[in-house]
Amino acid sequence: MKTYNYNTDELEAKLLSRFGAETPFAVPEGYFEGLPERVMSRIAERKRRRSIVWRWAAAAALVGCVAAGGMLFENRYNKHVAEAEDIQYIEDALEYSMIDNMSIASYLTEAEP
Amino acid sequence: MIDEKALYRQLSDPSTREAAFTRLVREYQEPLYWQIRRMVLVHDDADDVLQNTFIKAWSAIDSFRGESRLQTWLFRIAINESLNHLSKKKQVVSLDQTEGSAADMLVGDSYFDGDEVQQQFQSAIGTLPDKQRLVFNLKYFDEMKYEDMSELLGTSIGALKASYHHAVRKISAFFEDND
Repeated sequence: MKTYNYNTDELEAKLLSRFGAETPFAVPEGYFEGLPERVMSRIAERKRRRSIVWRWAAAAALVGCVAAGGMLFENRYNKHVAEAEDIQYIEDALEYSMIDNMSIASYLTEAEP
Repeated sequence: MIDEKALYRQLSDPSTREAAFTRLVREYQEPLYWQIRRMVLVHDDADDVLQNTFIKAWSAIDSFRGESRLQTWLFRIAINESLNHLSKKKQVVSLDQTEGSAADMLVGDSYFDGDEVQQQFQSAIGTLPDKQRLVFNLKYFDEMKYEDMSELLGTSIGALKASYHHAVRKISAFFEDND
């Protein structure tokens, strides 16, 4: 049999008569019964981890705001000109509290272990 | 047959989303699994890809606006996940991978029930490029209409027909010398 003698429908029919259209794949016993629970557990775990990350980020942001606010308050009442090291302190506090959007996004979308 | 509109409403409501998503998993897990399994061949890989499909669907549920059927949307995610899985796997496998590798994988897989004839058939199908193999699977095993395939894959009907034509010829030629 040379394939070029036949059109696609004829070749398809030959494959069907020779091999059928059932793929002889099996699944472990109870696989589909157990899958919904496994998927929903993973989803619940992701939600839990996400809320931990956001609580940390919110707390850090709050600390950063309080630190910066505290410095400005003190400077105004002491009538000091902002020293270079005060500025650095505020910058550091803001940096630590800064939500790194890229790393959070990549954490949330990374493949599950 | 699940009422997709009702399910979609429940998925859109945060208070009913989880219960609705559990129903969605139960409803679509089998057809999705078999699509995936025909592409990745081995049960453990199909399990990974299927779970990832549902996790991605959960994460993206807010972006689903009901413009297509829920099933179509899920199938698209499953197909993308399967193709990504296969291309990642190819990066790991050595460059002198032979045509018999699909059959080798199946022989090693305890969840393959087929005889040698079926192994050879899967081996022949395994020689196709991944996207062509996908079209072949959808048409040959699922008897999907070209119109539906076009909507699912976003490819023109003409291109799909050409793809299937090449796939059938290539697989047939695989057995030509043995006749």
